[in-house]
Amino acid sequence: MIKYIVVGLLVFLVYMVFVGSLSLYTVLTGLLVSFILSAVSAKYLVVDEKKLLDAGRLLYMVYYFFKYITIIEIKAHMDVVKRIINMDINPGIVKVPVNVKSRYARLLVMGSITNTPGTVVVDERNDYFYVNWISVTTKEPVKARKEISEEFEYYAYKIFE
Amino acid sequence: MKRVIVLVVLVLIAVVSSVITPLVISIEVPRYLKDLSRYYIINTIKDTASPEAVAAIVWDYRGLDTVYETLVLYLAIVGGLTIFMYTGELARKTPVGLTLLSRTATKIITVLISTVSAAIAFHGHLTPGGGFPGGSALAVATMLIIPVFSINTLLEKGVTSTKLVAIRGVSLTGLGLVALLPVIRGLEIVTNQRFYPGYLDGFILSGSISLYNLLEFLAVASGFTAVALYLSIPEEYYKGGDNA
Repeated sequence: MIKYIVVGLLVFLVYMVFVGSLSLYTVLTGLLVSFILSAVSAKYLVVDEKKLLDAGRLLYMVYYFFKYITIIEIKAHMDVVKRIINMDINPGIVKVPVNVKSRYARLLVMGSITNTPGTVVVDERNDYFYVNWISVTTKEPVKARKEISEEFEYYAYKIFE
Repeated sequence: MKRVIVLVVLVLIAVVSSVITPLVISIEVPRYLKDLSRYYIINTIKDTASPEAVAAIVWDYRGLDTVYETLVLYLAIVGGLTIFMYTGELARKTPVGLTLLSRTATKIITVLISTVSAAIAFHGHLTPGGGFPGGSALAVATMLIIPVFSINTLLEKGVTSTKLVAIRGVSLTGLGLVALLPVIRGLEIVTNQRFYPGYLDGFILSGSISLYNLLEFLAVASGFTAVALYLSIPEEYYKGGDNA
């Protein structure tokens, strides 16, 4: 039940933000759309609905979101800007082990790696990400994980595992 | 050094072209409105109860054109479906699809696209958008599922072209009825304001415009999805009599 409410609420929020109006017509059609979409999609989106009620996970998510879009992104951008100007690059694809298991946690790690400039996940196979890295400093999977995704995995574990 | 030269040349081209372009090509800014545009701007809200002039022109002023255009598109899709008609059972292979990550992301994106498409369709008479763009957006959501999961996933969830063509047929019948109903009262076909209410309890409905948008939304989404389903049937299925 909870998953239907949460998915419906998220759909409603996206609908309202996209339309950008608080008129009764928008609210009513938004309720209709969120009702239909949550009825159809919630069972595919949510596996363990107990996690939805965990306030700790939510707090970690909010904290990680703000930390990611400010500190982590700015650091990564500055690093790449420096590399572009100095042409200090050593590109290559490295194998990075992923320790988190749940699909949303992995999606978060993958998204975090890809969204930061300088690293792109190009494939996923047998618990390894293959990351295209702008400056390969190590080919050791475990060391590469430490440099690329350890922090992301810490938060992904707290939020989704 | 070579890189620096390339960079300098690029910057020079950018600067020079931005200086020269406005001198060579003079862009005429219209200083007055044509009579036709002035008419639409002033009278649209009175005539059609729709603040969106484009929707008003498409579904009210030029409504008959649009109804015929919808019919033409419908016949085109029916023609396509006839050529690609495949009545046999598709072999239920194990769905392959892309990696788990792509599938997880696609699940979320599909729901978001559907939400936005509904918003576009429901506000077609108020803001730019409408049934056709909304329906196309919704069809994109289902088209994403085919490569990322597999066509079998859609078929197993009951999204079959037979059902989609049925939805399309019902929506287009509804669209035709909305256009025809005013004739009963002796009005012209595709009449809007003199037959359908423009406002209801303070809601702007713009009469038939919102109805057309909703029905067109369903028709376009189901039609395009049906086409996508048919186009995803591997070509070897068409060879020979039985299933390949």
